[in-house]
Amino acid sequence: MLRSVWLVPALPLAGAAINLFAGKRLGRWAGILASGLMVVAFALALGVLADLLKLPGNERLVVRHLWDWISVGSFRVMADLRVDPLSVTMMLVVTGIGAVIHVYSIGYMDGDPRYGRFFSYMNLFCFFMLTLVLAQNFLLLYLGWEGVGLCSYLLIGFWFERPLAASAAKKAFVVTRIGDTFMLVGIALVFLRLGSLDFSAVLVNPYLRLGPLGPVEPSGVYTIIALLLFAGAVGKSAQVPLHTWLPDAMEGPSPVSALIHAATMVTAGVYLVARTHVFFEISGVALTVVLVIGLVTAVYAATCALGQDDLKRVLAYSTISQLGYMFFALGLKAYAAALFLLVTHAFYKALLFLSAGSVMHGLGGETDLKRMGALRRAMPFTAAMFGVGALAIAGVPPLSGYFAKDQILEVANRSGYLIAWLVALAGAFLSALYISRLMFLAFFGQDRTERAAHESPPVMTVPLALLAVGAVFGGVLGLSVTSGRLQGFLAPVLGELTEGAGGLPTAVLSVISVLAALAGIAVGWLVYGSGRVDWVALRVRFAGVHEFLAHGWYVDDVYSTSLVAPGKAGAAFLASAVDQRVIDGSVNGVGQLFQWAASRGRRLQTGLVRNYGLAFLVGVVLIFVYVGVRLS
Amino acid sequence: MKTPISYFVVLSAVLFAIGSVGVLVRKNALVIFMSVELQLNAVNLALVAFSRLHGNLNGQVLAFFSMVVAAAEVVVGLAIIVNVYRRMHTANVDDASLLRW
Repeated sequence: MLRSVWLVPALPLAGAAINLFAGKRLGRWAGILASGLMVVAFALALGVLADLLKLPGNERLVVRHLWDWISVGSFRVMADLRVDPLSVTMMLVVTGIGAVIHVYSIGYMDGDPRYGRFFSYMNLFCFFMLTLVLAQNFLLLYLGWEGVGLCSYLLIGFWFERPLAASAAKKAFVVTRIGDTFMLVGIALVFLRLGSLDFSAVLVNPYLRLGPLGPVEPSGVYTIIALLLFAGAVGKSAQVPLHTWLPDAMEGPSPVSALIHAATMVTAGVYLVARTHVFFEISGVALTVVLVIGLVTAVYAATCALGQDDLKRVLAYSTISQLGYMFFALGLKAYAAALFLLVTHAFYKALLFLSAGSVMHGLGGETDLKRMGALRRAMPFTAAMFGVGALAIAGVPPLSGYFAKDQILEVANRSGYLIAWLVALAGAFLSALYISRLMFLAFFGQDRTERAAHESPPVMTVPLALLAVGAVFGGVLGLSVTSGRLQGFLAPVLGELTEGAGGLPTAVLSVISVLAALAGIAVGWLVYGSGRVDWVALRVRFAGVHEFLAHGWYVDDVYSTSLVAPGKAGAAFLASAVDQRVIDGSVNGVGQLFQWAASRGRRLQTGLVRNYGLAFLVGVVLIFVYVGVRLS
Repeated sequence: MKTPISYFVVLSAVLFAIGSVGVLVRKNALVIFMSVELQLNAVNLALVAFSRLHGNLNGQVLAFFSMVVAAAEVVVGLAIIVNVYRRMHTANVDDASLLRW
């Protein structure tokens, strides 16, 4: 099974090709084909996992060589797939969650005129994402990295007739490209200084390195490499300051938000940092940068989520916040805890997005929370599933989110950064608050809908139930930060967590984080659910604060006035003044010069044969005279 | 007694001048053609005369060459003139000015 790991990415690629060329003829079969291939890919991934588990813990690294990709002088890049606990974990998330979301899409996208194309793009995305996580070198990883960016662009702008969707797609592409460019420079630096792009050769602690390349002294270059790679992760995972594309990306269809902008693609940054954690640890400074960025993002995005009125934008900011938690954990060297949160988050955030999609399906595309309320009566199943996801993200035991978040808080408390722990705890409180606000506004309280809602078909609700099972029981994968099953599985790649000294006992920490979550839910219920507080009046009274949060602290506005507007003005100047006047002017000027010269010169050509004959004769006579003079 | 070379050269020059003037002043393509032939034959005469003067055959060989080329040229030229006449119903060279501005 380990030999045929290449089939896992190959199946979605085949599905993408078939649906791209024959999607229209397949009709409804397009979705079934794409979903079926994903289910088979998931089964294969499970087989790979089973085979990997048969190996002893330290030998769980299999490199499947496919072919020589690039071979130019000393620059050699192989198309190799790396099977180790980290890549298998990511592969299972991508194929498992991906398969469920594909099935859901069969119902959600039903009747769309570009049905086949949608599944083609979705399959293509899964192929690139699997390439990303299975890559054995930086260049193959970068191929997958750019590929998922492309698919993200295509799928955000899937309904490109809507100007908002088209511009959101463009924005996502451009903003992530800023990070990608840094990352490409980082990869080039890796090759330049370490002589290879292969993970097995590069991702080794230089103190221990005794390979054919000889020991390389650690130096500032590791900090630069780590920071450049992290810049790519910041763009892809929508961390501050490159987070602005993700809320806008919600213009895409809901399954896209669930798959790409919650479960898989945005976690690629977390995967990248976990994969290259050797660089970050050597540097130290880079690790601190990761920690600070993650923490700032986690709290910042949680406050923004409080001010959003759009169902999906709340979830988008929530995703940014959760990704911030993952980076926070990475910065604390708790890589396995970050991966654990990644896996559980994939379950419950996909569940939340798909439930949101179910709400939109039932309400004819409505996403405004102000026009919802009391939906639990019309859509009881969706409401229950959304509730499960909400409890999981809030961190209520024994749901999966509780274990993941609790462990990160525990590590933070032991790390010695007490401030960081307190801020992260505040973030946990805010998470519980915004998700309960969402829950109560959408599913409880007064009915503010403008049309009758209806429950979604089984093809959409069954995937919800599957994800809900994962969201509830995902916690068993890693019950403890040191001895959990997932953490132990990942230890050969990510290393054991070194237990920090001091800090509060685990039981006390658990109680504190549960109290934070319950406090958030209680405040949310009091303001939005109990009916005792008029939240509309509250919003009017604190209009300034609400506007501030609703606009995401005006970060987007600052960018558009400080960067986008000057950029557009510069482009307009270059287009109108430089291009049209200088460049076009010189080209047209040359043309006009020749036209003018020709209009004069053509008068010489009379078209009368005798004139030519005379000129010929005169010329011959002149030549003879010349020759005669020369000879005499 | 041999005829002096100057007789031949002068005759040749006169014939060439007549031919040149004919090419320049006449408008009928056929007449121009005949004038061109006159020029060619003037040159042939000069070549043969010099051949006799120098006592070798170089000039005569060159004259034969020029006759052959002239024959070929006539074939092509006449074909063009006939085609121009069929299309434009005139052999006047001044009327064939389609390419002029």
